Amino acid sequence: MKISTVTVIGVTGTMGANIAGIFASFGDAKVYCIGRDINKVNKTIPRIVKSVKADAIAKNLIPADFDSLEACVADSDLIFESSKEDIKVKTEIATRVGKAMKPTAISGTGSSGLSITTIAESYPEELRSRFFGIHMFNPPYTLPLCEMTPTKYSDVELKEELRKYLSKKLLRTVVEVKDSPAFLGNRIGFQFINEALQYAEKYKDNGGIDYIDALLGSFTGRTMAPLTTSDFVGLDVHKAIVDNIYDNTHDYAHETFVLPSFASQLVSEGKLGRKSGGGLYQRIKYENGLTRQTVYDINTGFYRDVIPYVFPFADKMKKNIQEGDYQKAFERLVNNYSQEAQICLSFLLKYIVYSLYATEEVGYDITAADDVMATGFNWCPPLAMYQALSTVADVPVLIKERLPEICMKIDVDHYLADAKPSKYDYRIYFKSGRKN
Amino acid sequence: MSKVYILGGAQTDFERNWTKEGKGMVALLKEAMADGLAGAGLTFDDVRELNAGNRVACFVGNFIAEKYTDQGHLGAFLTEVDKAFYGVPSARYEAACASSSVAVDAAATKIRADEYDVAIVVGWELMKTVESRVGGDYLGRAAYYDKEGRGIDLPFPKLFGKLADETLKKYPDLDEKRYMDALAKISVINYGNAKRNPLAQTRKWFMSFEQASTRGTETNPLVGGRLGVSDCSQVTDGAAVVVLCSEAYLKERGYENKPIIKGYGHRTAPILFDKKMSDNADSEYILPWTRQACLDAYRRAGMDVSDIDVFETHDCFTSSEYAAIGAFGLTEPGKEYEAVEDGTIAFDGSKPINPSGGLIGCGHPVGASGARMLLDLYKQVTGTAGEYQVSGAKNAMMLNIGGSATTNYVFIVGVE
Repeated sequence: MKISTVTVIGVTGTMGANIAGIFASFGDAKVYCIGRDINKVNKTIPRIVKSVKADAIAKNLIPADFDSLEACVADSDLIFESSKEDIKVKTEIATRVGKAMKPTAISGTGSSGLSITTIAESYPEELRSRFFGIHMFNPPYTLPLCEMTPTKYSDVELKEELRKYLSKKLLRTVVEVKDSPAFLGNRIGFQFINEALQYAEKYKDNGGIDYIDALLGSFTGRTMAPLTTSDFVGLDVHKAIVDNIYDNTHDYAHETFVLPSFASQLVSEGKLGRKSGGGLYQRIKYENGLTRQTVYDINTGFYRDVIPYVFPFADKMKKNIQEGDYQKAFERLVNNYSQEAQICLSFLLKYIVYSLYATEEVGYDITAADDVMATGFNWCPPLAMYQALSTVADVPVLIKERLPEICMKIDVDHYLADAKPSKYDYRIYFKSGRKN
Repeated sequence: MSKVYILGGAQTDFERNWTKEGKGMVALLKEAMADGLAGAGLTFDDVRELNAGNRVACFVGNFIAEKYTDQGHLGAFLTEVDKAFYGVPSARYEAACASSSVAVDAAATKIRADEYDVAIVVGWELMKTVESRVGGDYLGRAAYYDKEGRGIDLPFPKLFGKLADETLKKYPDLDEKRYMDALAKISVINYGNAKRNPLAQTRKWFMSFEQASTRGTETNPLVGGRLGVSDCSQVTDGAAVVVLCSEAYLKERGYENKPIIKGYGHRTAPILFDKKMSDNADSEYILPWTRQACLDAYRRAGMDVSDIDVFETHDCFTSSEYAAIGAFGLTEPGKEYEAVEDGTIAFDGSKPINPSGGLIGCGHPVGASGARMLLDLYKQVTGTAGEYQVSGAKNAMMLNIGGSATTNYVFIVGVE
C-alpha cells in the first residue's frame, strides 16, 4: 500500500494534530491539515512539528480549511477524520468525503467509540469497503496503540494492507477490535476509572477522590492514578465514554459505568479537569510562583488540600518496589486485610477479570487486552498483572475469595482459562513514586 | 591459554527511566542479574554452588556512580541482589564509557588463566538521576576535567564536534557536505536499526535524513560545534549482564555451540584531545590508537576485516562512528563516507554496523555499553538477536571507547 498523500480533517484538535504528525513523520506523507478556521490551522502547524520533535516534517504539512475539503480529499490516498465526537458531524463529513475520494483511496475515522458501521453507511455503497475505524491514543508519539475496526462492509484484503501500513510504516501497535462502544482500551480503562470514581463517592467520608487515588497509585502498576487520569482526560470526555458504554452495552459490570452524580454536577458546572483549570483536582498558582494541589471534596463541594495519606501496606509496597523486591510487595498486598489493601487488591483482580471478559466480547485474541492496556494506557497489562500476582498467590483462588459477587454473575474459570504469560514485563509498570 | 566462552546474558530495557519509576541501583542490579543469569542458563543456586568451590567471580563496570547516585564500592553491591553473592569475589572496573569492557577484559583474563570457571560481568549506569546539564558536567570527568571539562557546558559534544573539525582538516579532499551528510546518514541508520530492537531507547522516536542533516533548528539544535542533537547518543539508564565461562565448565554443563572471545585489543591514547590530534600527525588515521586496538584484536584472532560479519561500535557521536569505519579497516582512512554512501554498513549491507541501534539508537548508559555490545555480539553469532539478527553472522567485532577515544577496547567474538 503506497500512501503518499493524506488528508486529516479536524486537525486543530489534540488528536487530529498529533496524528497529522504521525502521518507526516513515520508515514513520510504530504498531509493536508484541514480545520474549520484556517487561522487556527496555521497556529496548529508548529504544534504538529513539536509533537514528533522534527522540523523536517513542516514541509509535509499543508494547511487548508473546509472549503477545500473536496479538493484535498480527491488528491489523497488516505483520509483520516478526527472531528468532534458527534455522530451527526461525522456522518456529514463522511458524506462529503465519500463524494470526493478516489475509488482507490482508503478512509478512516478516529472516533473513540461511535458506531463505525453507521459512519460507513454515509459513504456510497461501493466505497464502504474502504472505510475503517482507526483509533489512536494520546499522545500517539509515546502511546503507539491503534485500535483498528473493520465493519461488515470492509474489504478483508484491504484491511490487512492497512494493518501492515499502520504497524510497519507508522509503527503502531495495531489491535483489531469489533465495532463495539468505546472499543477495547477505553472499555477496560474506563471500567476501572469510573468504578474508582464511584468508590470515591462511596468512601467520601474517608477523603473521597484523593483517598482512592492514594490507594491505586503508581505502585499498583500505572504511571498516573486513575482519577488523576480522568482529570487529565477531562470529565466531559470521561462522561461521554461511560455514558456511551452504559447506554449501549449490557455486561456484568454494567452498573460500574454509571457516572456518580457529583461528577455530573462538576461537568455541568464546566469543571472538567486540567484543561478547564480544575475538575476533580485543582492546582492553585500563586503570584510568588508557589503552587498548591487541591482536590474536590465530595462532602463539602469545596476544594481542599490533597491529604498525604499514609497507608502502611502502600508504604511498604513502595519501599519494596524501590529496591526491586516485587514479590515482597505483592505479598504485602495479598496478605494485608486493611480496608485500603482490600480495596486496592479487589480493583486489580476486577481489572484482570473484566479485561479477559471484555476481550472476548470486543477483541479477537486474549493478547489484545494486554496490547491495549500497555500501549494505550501505560498500565501494567492484565496478563502481566496476573503473572505478577501469581508470584505470590493462586490467582483464580484469590479471585473467588475476593470477588464472590462477580463469580456469581459470570463463569470466571471460563475467562481465566485463557490466561497465558504476557509478553510485557510487569516490573516496568510498578513504580514507587519519583525518587527524590 | 584456555578459551573464554560466552554463556549469554541480558540487558535491561534502555527506554526505562528508573528515577521516574522510583527505583535505584539495587533494583536495577536485581532485575539485570535475575535476567542475565537466566539468559546464561544459570540460577542463584548455581552461583552458590560454584562459589563453594571458589569458581565464580563478578566484575562490575560503572563509570561514575559516585556522582550520579552518591555511591562507591560498587563491587560489593551484588550482595544486595541475592545471598548467593555473599562471599563471591567482586570488584568494580572503570574506564569512563569503556568501563564494562575493562570488566570484560578482567573477567576473560581470569578465565583464560584458569583461575575461575565462571565470570559474571555486569555493566550499569543510572544517568537520569540528574538533569542533562548536570549529567553532562559529570561526564566531563571522562576527559581531563580541569582542562577540558570544568565550567564548560556539555564538554563531550564539544570534544566530538572538534573530532569532526579535525577529520575535515586531516583529509583535505573530504568535502564538508559529503562528510556532514555521512554523519547524518549514520544517525539515520542507527535510529532505523533501533526500530527492530525491542530494548532500544529510541525505538519509538522519529528520525529522517532531512531531520538529521538539517542542523541548527529548534528540534535539532547544535550541541557541539557542527554537531546537532541528532548526532548524539542519548543519556539513559540501564544495565547489561554477560556471563563468561571456561571450557571445563562448558563441558560440565553440557552446553554446545557457545561462542568464544577470539581476540581483543586495548590501547590508551593521550587523554587530552589536542595531544591526541598532534599525536596523529604521522598516521593516516585520525585516531591511530583506536586503529591499533583493532589491529591488535585482528592479530590475536588471526583474522582481518574480511572475516567479520557484523560490528557494534561506539557511536557516542556520529563523528566517532565515522572514525571507527576506517579503524575497523572497512575503508581506507579518510574514505569512510564510501561505506556509508554505498550501504556497506546498513542493516542489509555487507558489513552492518550497530544492528542493535548502537549508542545513538539503543541508548548509552555509559557503564553498561561495553557489556551491552558484547552481549549483542553474542546474540548475533548465536542467531538469537530476533528481529535485528544479521543473517548468517559467524564472527562479530565491537569497539568500545572511553573519553574522547582515549581508552579503546576491541573484542572479536565468534563461533569456533
